[in-house]
Amino acid sequence: MKILLIAAVLWSIHGVALAQDASDPTELMKQAHLNLYYSGDDGLANVDMLITNKKGNVRERSFVMLRKDFEEGGEQKYFIYFQKPNDVRRTTFMVWKDPAEDDARWLFVPSLDLVKPISANDKKSSFVGSDFSYEDVSGRHWSDDEHSLLREESLNERATWVVESTPREKDYFDRKLTWIDKEYRLPVREEYFDGDKVLKVFEAVEVQDVEGFATVTHRRMSTPRKDNVTDITFSAIRYNVGLEDEVFSERALKSPPREYIQ
Amino acid sequence: MKSMLVDVSVRHPRWVIVIAAIITLVAMAQMPKVKIDTDPENMLRADAPVRVVHHQVKEAFELNDFLVVGIVHEPTVFRPDILARVRGLTEVIAKMDGVIADDIIAPGEVDVILPDAAGGVRVEALMAEMPTTDEEAQTVLLHIMENPVLRGKLASADGQAMALFIPLESKDVAEDVANGVRAHLATLDTEETYYLAGLPLAEDSFGSAMFRQMAISAPMAFLLIFLLMLFFFRVPAMVIAPMLVAMMTVIWTMGLLIGMGFTLHIMSSMIPVFLMPIAVLDSIHILSEVHDHYRATGDMRQTMRKVVRELFKPMTFTSVTTIVGFSALILTPIPPVQVFGAFVAVGVFVAWLLSLTFNPAYAVLLPASALQKFGAAHEPNAAPESHLRKVYHFSQRFRVPLTLGLVAILAVAGYGISQVEVNDNPVNWFKAGHPLRVADKVMNEHLAGTYIAYIQLAGEEEGAFLEPAWMQYAHELQQDLTKHANVGAVSSVVDVVQKVQFELLSRPEPRPPLPDTREELAQLLFVYEMSGGTPDDLFKFITPEQDKINLWLQMPRGENRDVQSVIHAAEAYVLENPLPAGMSFDWAGLSYINVEWQRQMVRGMGMALMGSFATVLIMMMILFRSLRLALVAMIPLTVTIVITYGFVGLTGRPYDMPTAVLSSLSLGLSIDFAIHLIQRTREIHRVTGDFEATMHEFFHSPAQALARNIVVIALGFIPMFFAGLAPYVKVGAFFFAIMIISGGATFLILPPLLSRFSTQALVGKRAEPTEPSAAPVLEGTS
Repeated sequence: MKILLIAAVLWSIHGVALAQDASDPTELMKQAHLNLYYSGDDGLANVDMLITNKKGNVRERSFVMLRKDFEEGGEQKYFIYFQKPNDVRRTTFMVWKDPAEDDARWLFVPSLDLVKPISANDKKSSFVGSDFSYEDVSGRHWSDDEHSLLREESLNERATWVVESTPREKDYFDRKLTWIDKEYRLPVREEYFDGDKVLKVFEAVEVQDVEGFATVTHRRMSTPRKDNVTDITFSAIRYNVGLEDEVFSERALKSPPREYIQ
Repeated sequence: MKSMLVDVSVRHPRWVIVIAAIITLVAMAQMPKVKIDTDPENMLRADAPVRVVHHQVKEAFELNDFLVVGIVHEPTVFRPDILARVRGLTEVIAKMDGVIADDIIAPGEVDVILPDAAGGVRVEALMAEMPTTDEEAQTVLLHIMENPVLRGKLASADGQAMALFIPLESKDVAEDVANGVRAHLATLDTEETYYLAGLPLAEDSFGSAMFRQMAISAPMAFLLIFLLMLFFFRVPAMVIAPMLVAMMTVIWTMGLLIGMGFTLHIMSSMIPVFLMPIAVLDSIHILSEVHDHYRATGDMRQTMRKVVRELFKPMTFTSVTTIVGFSALILTPIPPVQVFGAFVAVGVFVAWLLSLTFNPAYAVLLPASALQKFGAAHEPNAAPESHLRKVYHFSQRFRVPLTLGLVAILAVAGYGISQVEVNDNPVNWFKAGHPLRVADKVMNEHLAGTYIAYIQLAGEEEGAFLEPAWMQYAHELQQDLTKHANVGAVSSVVDVVQKVQFELLSRPEPRPPLPDTREELAQLLFVYEMSGGTPDDLFKFITPEQDKINLWLQMPRGENRDVQSVIHAAEAYVLENPLPAGMSFDWAGLSYINVEWQRQMVRGMGMALMGSFATVLIMMMILFRSLRLALVAMIPLTVTIVITYGFVGLTGRPYDMPTAVLSSLSLGLSIDFAIHLIQRTREIHRVTGDFEATMHEFFHSPAQALARNIVVIALGFIPMFFAGLAPYVKVGAFFFAIMIISGGATFLILPPLLSRFSTQALVGKRAEPTEPSAAPVLEGTS
């Protein structure tokens, strides 16, 4: 909570326009999306992922994630270098995201010294066996859903808007609730429904100010039905690093940029 | 003791009846608490090692029992309209209570590993897009056939059959889900045929069928026994007493069973059917004697006292031997069989007690007017008597051919026993032609098999199966098992690794060997997860810790002998190819559990049979105070057991659970006839001293009671021949056979043998006629 308070103070100093009465839900969702996925022109972080199943056993993945935006709310490129588990160390993964089309993805398998494109037409499928889907990692575009402002309420003693979204086309969920923190303009909780059933729940467990950007440094996605939880924590976060385009190339998959990845 | 029981009953008949009625009401009050249990797993104790491992494996891989829906159509089920209906059905099923929607194995629900257009790997839901053309529909089939995990499981190679595997939270919901499926199908206009199969459904449906059967078979037997008794004894008022005894015996016993919190299992559901005839046995003896002597005095009290005193010893001994026969089942390691044995034993005791108290009390209370037609001198029943004497003369005259014939029959039967094959399959508990058996047959003809077993290979350390040698071992074991005639398919994590490798390397020919480094294995599995593979699907085959893997065997035949043969093959393989150090091997799955409890049952029944045989022999020695007589007494039951099991072996009928349990019944009932015959013969002989005179007397009244018993029980169980469940039919047929064979053996073998005994050997050295009871019997005949 202390961290949240500090972050709040820093945030207000930073002085992003705070339209307290902003009531256009689509606009709210857009801002939240941009703040969660498009902070700065690029960014990098060390990511630790813990997947806990209902029996309590934990699988760990850790990777370095690089991101570069080409258009605010539009094209983006991601580069991921796996460090754990040990047996998959040096595996790399790249995504060219274009909200208008299917993503392009490539994978480098070090033991086979092989770069392969992998298909990406199923956004709801699990990202490296976690509760996060590919879509959860790179963001679901706000224009894919219809939004309406449901209510305003206090969540964890923070003022939030609650937006209800319904997919424009048939999807794996039929309703989503998003709690948007009024100050951070970040989604701090999301619930996905299929009828009355909760499919999964996203929580922003910790928000920190990083270089002036309110950043969700601990994200949790749970699948109540399976009693499965994935926690992602971000560390060594940097924004506006000035990542070159070459970092997001097939060649880089085999020989990742040493300056960003230890 | 004997006088006490009968004296109390004839002096305070109303009290006896009131107390009996109260106990009956208390017992009936327990009935609503009944808990049904059709889970064959419960054939083993909850802490039986096999079950413990079974549950550990199920938990480790989150495995569930499956209801299987089969869809069959010629020339193909891979047609857009059929696939759309299947998809619709799948969606309906996914919403049903008790269905684990996430783990449904069906087109549209499972992932397939596919080559990507750009040359990579793609894992996506099979039939992610509904096919709209025949070509697209055939592509779905192609994707299944190219996927070793799904091949033969989800569809047949010719595309004529498809299967949906519906995992259930518990076996109890199987029939509800099946009914839901049927209801949905009823709303469709289909060309294709749908079938429902799977062990959980067989077991759950059996539970409901069992109840229906109990509600039909037991009352039918009851009615028929009543009619037969009426035929023999003419007076409904007198026949009602034994019927009440039988009913109360069943109610008390079942009330006690339910009240004590035991579940109603396939075995215990048969208790009423077993108790009904046993309960009327004693009453028939009493009625027969009363029937024959009542006229002499016209005083029911007197007659009852006399008859009960006379019958007390044989009745007690026959009851105790029956109790011993069934109590022996407690020696088996199968809890439902133990409960069955114990409670039939309790029931036999109840029947004995009620026969000796309720019958006299009831008879004494009857007004003399009701008995006017009862027990007329000899006229109405002259026929059976003369026939029975003919039987005796026949047995004496043809002693030699009879003996030779018997020896020949026993030799053949002995050979038959050597041919007995232990086998069972819960699906076969339904009669041929039952929809479940038809479904079972059709689906196993087309697909890899609806009978499922699992082999768990486990190591101690996390990541143990990333060791190439371990993965290689699993691979080779899997290949070996696949060759077995009763293995339709084996799937494992090896298939996933190979398929990813194959697609990742752009389908190289010849196919590359399994990876030889930890890294490559780990990375291939990682590629699966990176390419959109559902982790839960992978965890059906390998634990998240990668320390255990699961080989999933599908077998088209579920008879225990066929499953057993697969088990032997796997065990032989492991013996020849020792497991890598640190790796353990375990079986799980319902098919394996069935085999295991059956193995234990056969061994247990063998012990139980020998134990009770020895006990009965000792009891006969105590009763007759003669080893020779005791051995003679054992002949009919031995002959009965040898012939019935010889028949089972010769006709290739399986030795299954009902067959096994019936040996106790043979033992318990066959000895009864011998006891009655020998004991009554001795008592009469003590008076006559002349064997022919003794036989003349015996084949009048006591033999008649025996013959009536045989007829009542044999015929009383004919309704069970028409039961819808095979175990019931079998029990009915066995009852019939046991009665006929042991009755015949008693009448044909024992008298000629006894005629060889000296009077002293027959009556006993210490001829102490403490029982003056034999004399009045003679009076009645002369």
